[in-house]
Amino acid sequence: MAQVDLAYKIAAADDAVESAPGRSGAYDYRRLLGRGVGWIVPALTLALWSFASRHEWVASQILPAPGAVWQTLLEQIRSGDLFLNFGISLGRVLVGFTLGCLIGVVLGVAMGLSRRVEDYLSPTFNAISQVPVLGWLPLAMMVLGIGESLKFVIIAHASLVPVAINTLKGIRSVPRNYIEVAKAFQFSRSQLLRRVVFPATVPAIFVGLRYGLTQAWLSLVTVELLASSEGLGFMIVWGRQLFQLDLVLAAIIVVGVVGLLLDRGLARLEKRLLRWQPVWDMAGGGS
Amino acid sequence: MSAAAASLTSPRLRRGLVVPLLALVAWQVITHYKLANVHLLASPSAVLKSFVVQVKEGELFSQLLASLRRDLSGFLLGAFAGLLLGSAMGVWRIADRLFGPSFDAAKQVAVFAWIPLISVWFGTGESAKIVFIALAAFYPVVVNAYQGIRGVSREHVEVARAFRFSRLQTFKKVVLPAALPSIFSGLHLALIYAWLGTLGAEYLLAPAPGIGNLMIDGRESLAMDKVLLGVLLAGLVGFSLNALAARAEAYFLRWRVRNA
Amino acid sequence: MSQSAVIDIRDVSKQYTVKNEVLPVLERLSLTINPGEFLSIVGASGCGKSTLLRLLVGLDSEYQGEIQVGGQRLIGTSLDRGIVFQEHRLFPWLTIEQNVGLGLENSPWSSDKKKQAIKEHIELVGLTGFETAYPHQLSGGMAQRAAIARGLVNQPSILLLDEPFGALDALTRSRLQGELQTIWQREKITMILVTHDVDEAVYLGDRVVVMQPRPGRIRKTVNIDVPHPRDRSDPTLKALTEEVRAEILQVSPVN
Repeated sequence: MAQVDLAYKIAAADDAVESAPGRSGAYDYRRLLGRGVGWIVPALTLALWSFASRHEWVASQILPAPGAVWQTLLEQIRSGDLFLNFGISLGRVLVGFTLGCLIGVVLGVAMGLSRRVEDYLSPTFNAISQVPVLGWLPLAMMVLGIGESLKFVIIAHASLVPVAINTLKGIRSVPRNYIEVAKAFQFSRSQLLRRVVFPATVPAIFVGLRYGLTQAWLSLVTVELLASSEGLGFMIVWGRQLFQLDLVLAAIIVVGVVGLLLDRGLARLEKRLLRWQPVWDMAGGGS
Repeated sequence: MSAAAASLTSPRLRRGLVVPLLALVAWQVITHYKLANVHLLASPSAVLKSFVVQVKEGELFSQLLASLRRDLSGFLLGAFAGLLLGSAMGVWRIADRLFGPSFDAAKQVAVFAWIPLISVWFGTGESAKIVFIALAAFYPVVVNAYQGIRGVSREHVEVARAFRFSRLQTFKKVVLPAALPSIFSGLHLALIYAWLGTLGAEYLLAPAPGIGNLMIDGRESLAMDKVLLGVLLAGLVGFSLNALAARAEAYFLRWRVRNA
Repeated sequence: MSQSAVIDIRDVSKQYTVKNEVLPVLERLSLTINPGEFLSIVGASGCGKSTLLRLLVGLDSEYQGEIQVGGQRLIGTSLDRGIVFQEHRLFPWLTIEQNVGLGLENSPWSSDKKKQAIKEHIELVGLTGFETAYPHQLSGGMAQRAAIARGLVNQPSILLLDEPFGALDALTRSRLQGELQTIWQREKITMILVTHDVDEAVYLGDRVVVMQPRPGRIRKTVNIDVPHPRDRSDPTLKALTEEVRAEILQVSPVN
């Protein structure tokens, strides 16, 4: 399935950093660079930004000074507005993501284990998964209105697609070698599923979870931008309407940082749960 | 992996059509018996009528063309920038360490979140729309180009070194071909996102000829059939673009060995 | 635990059909394996030896002819026939202990008896101290030892080994061959070893079956009447090794 490969590749893209093998002969500047290198670009951007606004290259309504944005952020925290909106956003994501993951795993397992189920579901599933969640928004709004259910459905949809795809792929890639071992030891079908297929699929499920969480966060903000009256996404729109770009920028920064934390958090969890992972070589389980 | 969708045998095709057909029937039933908010959901027959009207008196084709032109410009811009950044980060470790974390953070912000800012910084005209579309296309290209280049096997690079290839030769003959599948995936995704970005930009920024315009019109005159028509056409174009991209990918990557 | 039984292979044939072409893999192969003996099956690639082993394990049941164990027709896999594959095939998400215990998953023994058996067999293969390690932390040789322990843990009367040391370096291979011989002497079960390594086949086996390819047939059976434990430098052993090697080379000259 070309579509499954595509999505899986994309889902695995973020893992490239951890597992990247060869490079095309870049110099090894590793010794020159410490861990803080990642901060250089943001720092430079900040400096440029400060400079630009101090010298009024652009009107301050269009590009507020970093200081102003920081002030606004603090105000928002103090007044509790930020936590309110943040809490609402986070709550929606958690509900939607959990829902989406459950459905995604169930779908992926069902399609993975039974060719018949896959025959029934995969054309429709492929068609639906090819359309990024945004495409469904107008339709969803028509059917569901703009209440909480819309948010949950959209977020769940965004999460379930990568989770289902990766779970399916994971189940299909359980090395035949292990299945033969199970056969040699007379495992029943249920034992085979519990003791071999499921543990072997967990890493793939995690890849799906990480990508699903990113998608969930993205779609949450988008829905809030377009169809909500509270939440971080709404803050962005609201700030724009009041022509308070400092608010807009503050909200965007919060969105970015929270998204990053969520992703990194899940990566940590994955590392802890999959301590046995480091080498999955051909000796154990090539096909 | 099961064979490509192209080789559908009869029972598989029949089973696959079950759900979509049910959905179509459900749609007609729901609107016919007014089970959902009929003001919001138009029936399939109404949409069809609208389509015919639009083709006859609206300038459906020119609207479509306008959207596609915008889409292409934005896509090319975003894809090009994405290839530059993604390849740079893939080839030079410094670029990766420098830009990686910032890119990761920026990636977490939904593209649509930039619209308010874009509308202030670039106005709401054509350039704003193209910038937005470019942004939508940018991210997946970076991610996939990066992954493709980083994923080049060390073994192959060592062969190049054994034959004393220059850095440029290594890049052209080893890295680039090996990274091509990933790059194509990225472009494929970017095409999808660019199209969505096009619709979004047309819908959210100032009106101008395009499919999004069709939807705005419909929304303003509460003609839900027009809106739905827009949505369906958008979906159709998206689907075709996707199929085209898949074909192109399959053609250029004929040599690729499929595993698992 | 059951008594070793005679394995009877009668007129076994197997073909693969690839793109409408029928490729014979085994042709009317007949062989009797006696209880408690160590049988080596050796031959060049493509002679069907691994296929034969898979039929004996029960992983493959499409063939013509009869395979009987103790007078009963062989159907499917059995806990009484253990197997060690060329790749260790340890489950990466289980510790060594848990991997060895996999063989006892469907055993009716009490939990205490199982624990005891696992401990004993880990000791048998010399992996004491590595019970809680994960496969990726072990070297290839150690992992293969664990696989052997797993194959023996529920005390099958027959152990099948499919090129078990093929993926290991020469030194480790040599050492493990010696260990396998020791284990066989202790456990006194039937062992059937498939290998392309002639030295290994002769060193370990009571009998060496030489197979020839296209289609797979038994070319010759050589008895190795050298008492165990064996010394690699034994001249009789060396002569027999050359004899076997000559047989194989005759069938598949260097091309």
